Amino acid sequence: MKGLLIKDMKLMKNMKNSLLMILIIAVGMSYYMKDLSFIIVYLALLGATFTSSTLSYDEFDKGYTFLFSLPVTKKEYVIEKYGLGLIMSGGGWLLGTVLATVAGLIRNNGFAMDNIMVGITLLPIPMILLSILLPFHLKFGGEKGRIVMISVVGVLIVVGVIGGKLVEGMHLNIDALLENLSALSMGPMAAGGIGISLILLILSCRISISIVNKWEF
Amino acid sequence: MLKMEHLRKNYGTFLLDCSLEILPGRITGLIGQNGAGKSTTFKAALGLITPDSGNICILGKNIQDLGAKEKQDLGVVLSDSGFSGYLTIKDIIPVLDSLYEKFDKAFFQDQIRKFGLPDNKKIKEFSTGMKAKLKVIVAVSHNARLLILDEPTAGLDVVARDELLEMLRDFMEKDEDRAILISSHISGDLETLCDDVYMIHEGKIILHEETDVLLSDYALLKADERQYVAMDKQYILRTKKESFGFSCLTNQKQYYMENYPKLAIEKGTIDGVITMMIRGDMV
Repeated sequence: MKGLLIKDMKLMKNMKNSLLMILIIAVGMSYYMKDLSFIIVYLALLGATFTSSTLSYDEFDKGYTFLFSLPVTKKEYVIEKYGLGLIMSGGGWLLGTVLATVAGLIRNNGFAMDNIMVGITLLPIPMILLSILLPFHLKFGGEKGRIVMISVVGVLIVVGVIGGKLVEGMHLNIDALLENLSALSMGPMAAGGIGISLILLILSCRISISIVNKWEF
Repeated sequence: MLKMEHLRKNYGTFLLDCSLEILPGRITGLIGQNGAGKSTTFKAALGLITPDSGNICILGKNIQDLGAKEKQDLGVVLSDSGFSGYLTIKDIIPVLDSLYEKFDKAFFQDQIRKFGLPDNKKIKEFSTGMKAKLKVIVAVSHNARLLILDEPTAGLDVVARDELLEMLRDFMEKDEDRAILISSHISGDLETLCDDVYMIHEGKIILHEETDVLLSDYALLKADERQYVAMDKQYILRTKKESFGFSCLTNQKQYYMENYPKLAIEKGTIDGVITMMIRGDMV
């Protein structure tokens, strides 16, 4: 497991220019953007997609065949990818939260607790993305995986829009519902969100293991 | 070390049906044409494909039980796959160090220096020969008990090939219980290295013989029509019609030398034997 992590970290060295560029953009955004929560989501999501890139490196030139001749099981491989995903998106999230907090601090001339809370509330987003991204990539490969994932997200948006129309048709007051939700304390909401996304991540990891177990080379 | 019994894998137009055994202290060669089933056999031995039927026992374990712990004892070279080309030798050292409990870093670095491989260059920028050398060095650097080497000398010049074969001999000398299964399309490599050879054709093992026996007792007999008719054919394995008459493959060279002194007899070689086994007709 440690060996695989080292390999991925070494592979990610190849992306250091992209990482630097992203960091510069994020710093720029923290200076100009009003909504600082975007920086947190932006960096955390990019962390998750970088994990997906290491799968493409492994896939290239029949790399999987050699990789699984090493003392590595398929289960370990999948768990390592999820671990790396958590490290990368967690790192991105932490960096984003720090940037947003510092930016908030400079702008408000005070301690920006709000930005930390926003950061914690947004933590489930990269975890959910990771839960979707990895099984799709493992099942369909890099290129096809992206197409299938975009299609699935598209279908989900269409379902959401249709659902919204239906709710409207049933004369339910969405605004009142959202107001009630925000009336709840932010802490339990964030904890609930993180809990649900953790369950989703574990479920996704199990699905990925069963996908990889069927691989033949 | 490795035993395959009626291993079957069907790919629609191709059926692998293979039985072979690799014993401790021995170097066993697997030879065959491109597409004969060599790489499929190697992948099956490593648990990279699931056989349709048959048994594979490796290092005393059933192939289904081959886990990360057992793979510590395997050194593997695959003809068409290796470490990501985006890594450098410097990058893979800590990876190997973490993956293999018995990784001999000093030996690895020594070999890298000996073969003049650049440790800061991406592997994708290596020549074919450099990549081949690196694969073998990786396979022999962690005190494996069994090496499974698919075309390890492909793309190497004569000198580099010789150096690699020497490295494999050294590997065997360090521990008499080690074993190697090796395939190569250069039969000369196998003749000088292997204790025994399996020949595979269209997914089936068509011959298994000790290399010494193959080189000493096998021969190609060149006979004209009259000699061929008069010849005792009980030790003839294959015959092939030629412009001068017949080529006949025998595994009893001495018998024909003594009884048919006028026959032109060519000493057996792996290339000669496999060509006759594939293209010749059974008597």
